[in-house]
Amino acid sequence: MIEISHLCKKFDDQLVLDDINLKISEGELLVVLGGSGTGKSVLLKHMMGLLKPDEGSICIDSVDITKLSDKELIGIRKKIGYLFQEGALYDFMTVFENLAFPLTEHTRLRKPEIARRVKEILAIVDLEGIEEKFPEELSGGMKKRVALARSIILDSKLLLCDEPTSGLDPIRSRDISDLIKTVSLRMKCTTIVTSHDIRNSFRIADRVVLIRDGRIVASGTQKELERSSDTFVKEFIS
Amino acid sequence: MRNFMKKFLDYLAGIGNALFFLFRVFGNILRGRIRIKELLKQIYEQGYQSVLIIMLTSLASGLVLALQGYVAMVRFGAKEYIAHLVALSLVRELGPVFTALIFSGKAGARITAELGTMNVNDQILATKTLGVDPVEFLVVPRMLACIIVVPILTILAEVVGIAGGYFIGVFEANIQSSFYIHQTIRAIHYVDFFSGFIKTFFFALLIGWVCCYKGYYTKGGSLGVGRYTTQAVANSYILIIIANVILTKIILTFWG
Ligand SMILES: Nc1ncnc2c1ncn2[C@@H]1O[C@H](COP(=O)(O)OP(=O)(O)OP(=O)(O)O)[C@@H](O)[C@H]1O
Ligand SMILES: [Mg+2]
Repeated sequence: MIEISHLCKKFDDQLVLDDINLKISEGELLVVLGGSGTGKSVLLKHMMGLLKPDEGSICIDSVDITKLSDKELIGIRKKIGYLFQEGALYDFMTVFENLAFPLTEHTRLRKPEIARRVKEILAIVDLEGIEEKFPEELSGGMKKRVALARSIILDSKLLLCDEPTSGLDPIRSRDISDLIKTVSLRMKCTTIVTSHDIRNSFRIADRVVLIRDGRIVASGTQKELERSSDTFVKEFIS
Repeated sequence: MRNFMKKFLDYLAGIGNALFFLFRVFGNILRGRIRIKELLKQIYEQGYQSVLIIMLTSLASGLVLALQGYVAMVRFGAKEYIAHLVALSLVRELGPVFTALIFSGKAGARITAELGTMNVNDQILATKTLGVDPVEFLVVPRMLACIIVVPILTILAEVVGIAGGYFIGVFEANIQSSFYIHQTIRAIHYVDFFSGFIKTFFFALLIGWVCCYKGYYTKGGSLGVGRYTTQAVANSYILIIIANVILTKIILTFWG
């Protein structure tokens, strides 16, 4: 259970997050929709403790992570998977090494167990047999899948995905969206996805929140949003 | 005026930041958070990358020193002192400085470009999200490798430079081979060697610090990587040259 209250963030004079309040329940798949530059990535980074808010709190299982030190955050981050917009795989490591990295860092698994786990997770994202490739040899969609695999390999209970569909063609976008849904159900993890891809968002989301200029302007299921009388909401989702 | 003040304050903040960065690196090193595998990889890469060009440069400097020295010494009828001239110049001054300058242009630039690219592609941030300290994982091995590699390369450079001098001394100035070697060994006192050698650690630290810092805080996409890399190399050049003057003065004051 995650509770964000009164979250505000300014960069210089620009107010990027303006009093965000949001509750996300266990196992929910929430999509944060919004145009470019509305503060979606900034919001996710706060949930990972990568940025500190000017005001407000983010409680994950009743721990306010905005108050934690870097050292304490390490423990929290192990349980959270973060999928970057561009994947952010280590380009000096093979796919195998990329996936094994969190395991060697945080578990005591032995080599054969790590190899098995990597194989398993690659099967989940539907990419078998690419262990020895380097990220630059993969397509954009494959990179995102590997990155998704890396972010859940420690059995994360919370998965944050920053624009998983950006830069992909419509079919790949749908595939990666569906994959996130599958993974989320299969790992039983709470999932928050940011996106400006309306169709895929509604396709996978339990609930959608729409943000504009750092404020939440609407929240609900597809049906609820479609019934909204707000002109901005109507315009955005039509 | 206001603008100037702001720039100045930004500049001070930058220096503070860089110092803080250095403390973080040393904090990790002192607590023994050193990844041996990464360190060895970096030592290999940095050393392998710059060893040839450094040897070439010092060989050439040895040759030229001896050629010029020959001309000068013959005027005083003291050509047997070529060995002294070559050995002392290289060991006290040229070896450490040339090695550091070339190293910063080769390995230093590479460090900044690598870290910068990683930063621009969110790999540094991703390291944090995986619950790993990026300074420990990415910076410490690179910085430590500099401090290990530069002194070793310097000694290599000095040996090769002296060999270049030997070549000229023996084949051009017709000094007897064993005599030249003997003179060289007699010329270099402990003080001479160490007064130069100590500097290399400072140079290495400066290169590692500047290049890692610039890379770690690179902004602005691929253009940024280019800009920060040139800045890193230029800054380490300037710092090496200034540090050399200061260190030379200090060392000469205390050591003669
Ligand atoms: N570290 C930072 N320093 C200063 N400004 C920032 C920083 N990060 C983000 N911003 C600003 O905050 C605003 C929101 O950025 P953010 O990356 O969250 O947008 P976004 O909603 O993710 O957009 P996109 O869909 O393009 O990814 C932007 O105007 C950006 O310039
Ligand atoms: Mg974004």
